[in-house]
Amino acid sequence: MSTLYSQRRLGNAIAMVLAVAATVVGLFFLAAILWTLLAEGLAAATPALFVEMTPPPGDDGGLANAIFGSLMMTMVSVLVATPIGILAGTYLAEYSRGSLLGEAAKFINDVLLSAPSIIVGLFVYTTLVVPFGHFSAWAGAAALGLIALPVVNRTTQDMLALVPNTLREAAAALGAPRWRIMVFVVYRAARSGILTGVLLAIARVSGETAPLLFTALNNQFWSTDMSQPMANLPVVIFQFALSPYDDWQKLAWGGALLVTATILVLNIIARSLARTRSN
Amino acid sequence: MAVAEDPASTETAGSSASRALIQDRIFVGATALSAIIVVGILLGVIVSLFTGSWEAITRFGVGFLWTERWNPVKEIFGAAAPIYGTVLTSVIAMAIGVPVSLGISIFLTEICPPRLRRPIGIAIELLAGIPSIIYGLWGFFVLAPYLQHNVQPFMIDHFGSTPLIGALFQGPPYGIGLFTAGIVLAIMVLPFITAITRDVFLTVPTLLRESAYGMGMTTWEVVWKIVVPYTRVGLVGGVMLGLGRALGETMAVTFVIGNAHRISSSLLAPATTISAAIANEFTEATSPIYTSSLIELGLILFIITFTVLGLAKWLVGRVESY
Repeated sequence: MSTLYSQRRLGNAIAMVLAVAATVVGLFFLAAILWTLLAEGLAAATPALFVEMTPPPGDDGGLANAIFGSLMMTMVSVLVATPIGILAGTYLAEYSRGSLLGEAAKFINDVLLSAPSIIVGLFVYTTLVVPFGHFSAWAGAAALGLIALPVVNRTTQDMLALVPNTLREAAAALGAPRWRIMVFVVYRAARSGILTGVLLAIARVSGETAPLLFTALNNQFWSTDMSQPMANLPVVIFQFALSPYDDWQKLAWGGALLVTATILVLNIIARSLARTRSN
Repeated sequence: MAVAEDPASTETAGSSASRALIQDRIFVGATALSAIIVVGILLGVIVSLFTGSWEAITRFGVGFLWTERWNPVKEIFGAAAPIYGTVLTSVIAMAIGVPVSLGISIFLTEICPPRLRRPIGIAIELLAGIPSIIYGLWGFFVLAPYLQHNVQPFMIDHFGSTPLIGALFQGPPYGIGLFTAGIVLAIMVLPFITAITRDVFLTVPTLLRESAYGMGMTTWEVVWKIVVPYTRVGLVGGVMLGLGRALGETMAVTFVIGNAHRISSSLLAPATTISAAIANEFTEATSPIYTSSLIELGLILFIITFTVLGLAKWLVGRVESY
């Protein structure tokens, strides 16, 4: 009896120590990554980072053209993906009701949510780069849009599901048509939740590298022409980090810190928005 | 806006009702169209991958899958090495990442003092949002040199001559390679899997958990005999979602894999994965057959990940509908 008891206690102690150890090890590595990012990134964070162009090797410079390119492509992609995502989410949450299209679209959207982003790049390459004969920022924005769409769609579905049915019924009882129920009642009730989805989509898109490698490509110079290759932070980070030049590697760390900080801030805002809602 | 559009004061009730009906049709039609776009994207991806890789499919046939050679000069291409690298790095990542994630989830749901529970949980969720290129960057500049100088020589000296598993640890310590890529992937999927498994663990009804404790079970027994069996399906689904991530991951791997198209028995040797090969070579591919072969790699990756993610989604969905 007492041996069985002590065996059980021993087993428990071992398991608990392992669980704590796993937490410590896991958090240690994640902290190590953030620490390196912070140390190397802050060393590279100068005002020049925001105002100067990407330099040739051995020269001073910044990431201004890449920051601009990333902002442009992210903005275009989210502006296009948001309305489609919200409408698709509306259909799936409100109107599909077990229809084949609804079930298929829900399933496909969830798979697209974690599908490899490099495949999206290949898709856009064959549909937007090959036919036009050159890489372009439009293609990059399209690739990012395809990644943002499932995020907006899924959050919209989840957030609309939280809106109480009594609101819809009350509006319907007043004789409001269906579009009016959605636009003036349900969307308003779910507003901050949907905004959360859009912010999460921006955060997701800002760090995506793989789909831009062969759609927007890169550009050494300042360019505002969306039909031409355009510099963007992730691809610049990738190319500069793998280069043998110290200046370039330093800029890569600066860019990495910038991207990560942006994403963390967006995520935190999105989380606090979602929390005010649930309170 | 609502007042300006309201026609009731000037028109008869009948025409206003029929106008609302038309507006409704347009609105619901637009939402349905958007849902069709989602389905259309998937079909578009499938069609474009098939048409893009058609040249390689017709030229190399199914042999593409098990040919190891990858020679752009002679235009002979085979997918065996990238497939092997993709699968092996993901297996390493899962072997490390899953137990650690489970440990963290157990800690968060059973052991952790309530005051720490939220901060650690939030930290894990925020870390899941960090882009993979950051993990790759860290792997390339910090982890790979460290492994090369401190860990790999030790592994080669001590395990290299062991029978059976010795072959896994031979060759010079390159730093970059399958092993390093697997570790970076493991760290990357860690927050992702942890966030899911923790949520799945929290679906266990408090009553069930408390009854078990009331029977005199230890914490470990509650986890192993109550929580894990209850959440089995969801756990497998969560792990498969993580596997789907790992299989398709590009940037975390590309930095540290070494891009060598060969199957080496050693875990320490440079290799390549499907996504790393595409990322590294796509813009350099000069001949149509080279591009086509890379797109066929993409098609293979798509089929693998779609299967894994589909299964995962189906399993997790079954949990959600409990």
